[in-house]
Amino acid sequence: MAEKKEARIGVFICHCGTNIAGSIDIKALQEYAKTLPNVVVADEYQYMCSTPGQGKIVDAIAESKLTGVVVAACSPRLHEPTFRMASKVGGLNPFRFEMANIREQNSWVHMHDREGATAKAKDSVRIAVAKASLLEDLFPKSVPVEKAALVVGAGVAGIQASLDLANAGIPTYLIEKSPTIGGRMSQLDKTFPTLDCSQCILTPKMVDVGRNENIILKTYTEVEKVEGYIGNFDITLRKKARGVLTPDEAAERGYVGGGCNGCGDCAGVCPVIKGNEFEFAMAPRKAIYIYHPQVVPNIYTVDFESCIKCGLCVDICGDKKAIDLEMEDTFETVKVGTAILATGYDLFPIEKKAEWGYNRYENVITGLEFERLICASGPTGGHLVRPSDGQTPMKVGFVLCAGSRDNTGVGKPYCSRFCCMYSLKHAHQIHEKIPGARVYLFYMDIRSFGKMYEEFYYRIQDEGAKFIRGRVSNILEDATTKNLHVFTEDTLLQRPINLELDLVVLASAVQPVAEEDTIRKLFGVSKSQDGWMLEAHPKLNPCGTTTAGVFLAGVCQGPKDIPDTVAQAEGAASAASIPIHTGKVELEPYFAQCMDEKCAGCGMCVNLCPYGALALVEKNGRKVMEVTEAKCKGCGTCGGFCPGGAIHMQHFTTPQIVAQIDAFLLGGEQ
Amino acid sequence: MAIEKNYGNPQLEEKLRDRYFYTDDSNPEFLANVEKIGRTIAHMCFQCGTCTGSCPSAPRSSYRIRLFVRRAVLGLEDEALTDPDLWLCTTCYSCTDRCPRDIAPTDIIMAMRNLAFKRDIVPRNFLKTAQLIYTTGHGVPNNDVNRAAREKLGLTRDPPTTHGYPEFIPGIQKILDYYKLKENADRILAEEGQ
Repeated sequence: MAEKKEARIGVFICHCGTNIAGSIDIKALQEYAKTLPNVVVADEYQYMCSTPGQGKIVDAIAESKLTGVVVAACSPRLHEPTFRMASKVGGLNPFRFEMANIREQNSWVHMHDREGATAKAKDSVRIAVAKASLLEDLFPKSVPVEKAALVVGAGVAGIQASLDLANAGIPTYLIEKSPTIGGRMSQLDKTFPTLDCSQCILTPKMVDVGRNENIILKTYTEVEKVEGYIGNFDITLRKKARGVLTPDEAAERGYVGGGCNGCGDCAGVCPVIKGNEFEFAMAPRKAIYIYHPQVVPNIYTVDFESCIKCGLCVDICGDKKAIDLEMEDTFETVKVGTAILATGYDLFPIEKKAEWGYNRYENVITGLEFERLICASGPTGGHLVRPSDGQTPMKVGFVLCAGSRDNTGVGKPYCSRFCCMYSLKHAHQIHEKIPGARVYLFYMDIRSFGKMYEEFYYRIQDEGAKFIRGRVSNILEDATTKNLHVFTEDTLLQRPINLELDLVVLASAVQPVAEEDTIRKLFGVSKSQDGWMLEAHPKLNPCGTTTAGVFLAGVCQGPKDIPDTVAQAEGAASAASIPIHTGKVELEPYFAQCMDEKCAGCGMCVNLCPYGALALVEKNGRKVMEVTEAKCKGCGTCGGFCPGGAIHMQHFTTPQIVAQIDAFLLGGEQ
Repeated sequence: MAIEKNYGNPQLEEKLRDRYFYTDDSNPEFLANVEKIGRTIAHMCFQCGTCTGSCPSAPRSSYRIRLFVRRAVLGLEDEALTDPDLWLCTTCYSCTDRCPRDIAPTDIIMAMRNLAFKRDIVPRNFLKTAQLIYTTGHGVPNNDVNRAAREKLGLTRDPPTTHGYPEFIPGIQKILDYYKLKENADRILAEEGQ
């Protein structure tokens, strides 16, 4: 800490058009700023972030020999980097810049109280000047970045992100909790609005994942532990006991030429029958199984919860020795520079909305169950049937917004965003496969916002689908025929509706997967009010998170259809590849520093640190704390706790904070 | 199927009538007929309300053209054809000009009037208009008030229509006879009078 020169502060006030100037008296604020201690320049401009606005800062630093800069404008989350850069261009250390937020925290919330807002802005500027007078030169720390990436979840988002990263030359670990990759998209029959066969467009990508030399695919694997920081994450993976060896794993055990080749002999002899989760238990599987014939990798899996260890599969597998019924979970740690989370979604448990009778009425199904029932590779070979009697339904209803746009606390308040479109597609598939069938869509709004979506809606209406504008209030079942009476209002006709239908499909809301909370906490990612993972900025940084080096792709960030999911996955892959290709990242220098002469070596801070950045070390014959700067996030937990005041928080030093508090409480009268 | 109740009181029964829309209330033929006669894609209506918003009758009556198109889509034949509002369209074609789905709502109404006439559901004034056209060539024939006004404006007492050239009336009658318009109007009015 060099001897301080006398502080010379420049204050710059932004009008932000009328965003700030509309509620705050800029002239009065400027005149006030001139009276503050250490202030040598006080200027104002329409848009400080514009090139002329930044030019004022650059010029003033040279002309008035400023030691600190205060800009009173918007949130530092928006323009702190802009003004730091301007300060740097002007020849000042960028960390000698301080921002006073007089927009988000002032003019926008006190829009109709000009006097009060102006008084509050004066407080903000006074406090910022107090801190700016004590700011010191700081230097960001540069750390190297591991040339590898991690992608969690191998649905279409994870697959696309991995392929992009791998094709950019980055070794990529693709982690999937299920035995196969493909995710939700592999369960779909066709995709809107093009009516492409979902499997046909997805399987080539799945095969590419299996073949790409830069992709290290790890199925039936979960993230156990995350340590480290951007550039240097140490990720511990739990490889769940699969009970079956891949050819490589078999070779490692000395069974060269052995391992699972996906022949399926084992499933043929297995005596245990369970519901196949992939088919929503509408088709059986054995205790040793694959979900469907197109799985990647084509390796069987033992369901140890159901396996009775009779050993029939081991016998029939014979010399391949692929089956190990005593296998246990194993762990490995991989080092990566950046990570992408793509954990996807589950259906909202729609039986919670009891009025629609899901699980109580046999002929009420979900949209995903419909996908399996209409899919040629599904349990009925693509023949849509009523679950109650196997008959072809001739009158089918679709309940849109089932559990979405629901503020009761039972359902989800948000729009699930793709149900309108897949229900339209379902209507088309019924028209196509069942001549003479009548389709009713019960809707509040049809949200067909994407490219060629409205045209698709037009096409389905032209095919004869009936759109009833009204949310379904309840469904009753005829106990004899198992037909369903659907009640709503045709709000356009203003008449109550009681339609007797053969089959009802609920376009159920979607929600984060059960594991989402665990995973996002491992990576230090927040969630938004609606439960989905929180992006760094909803518009300007939709793939990033508040944890540097961790990115989001697909529905885990919020409901989105396949085109949007793939687009975000490519965005996330691009963002995640930047630090890796740059080879190093700069960390903000808000590190804790131990003042060895004050440290008593008690070590209480070591356990408090949420990032494991602190350790006790021997120095000059006594124990003192040492900070691993790259791990420290500058949260201040240690500094606030230290009983001896031995921890110096850079950029948030005790004198700086005390000066801010004094400036506020004493109103500048010292 | 609507549930019937009997209170022995017709007014109360009407008030408490089951107004649910059931699948068997719908006659898909009705939509097909309306589209065939009106030569327009009624089934593509997405009920935006541009038609009713454009309609000069709507603010001055209970006539809602959007509602008639909805009834066509759902096949609610009786409800559409027995509603006296069906006859409040002035056929100005503003709705047809503005419909974003390029439907001709006016022609849907005209088709419905056609179908209603086939079932003898027509207001008396329309039938009387048909009779007047048959006898005079005019829906609203000239009268003394009009004649005085015409004179004041320097026009002939009668316009150069069938009023001035009554020899053309038989031609008009031939057209109306072909469609049995006069015959049916006479019959319906006579039956009503009984």
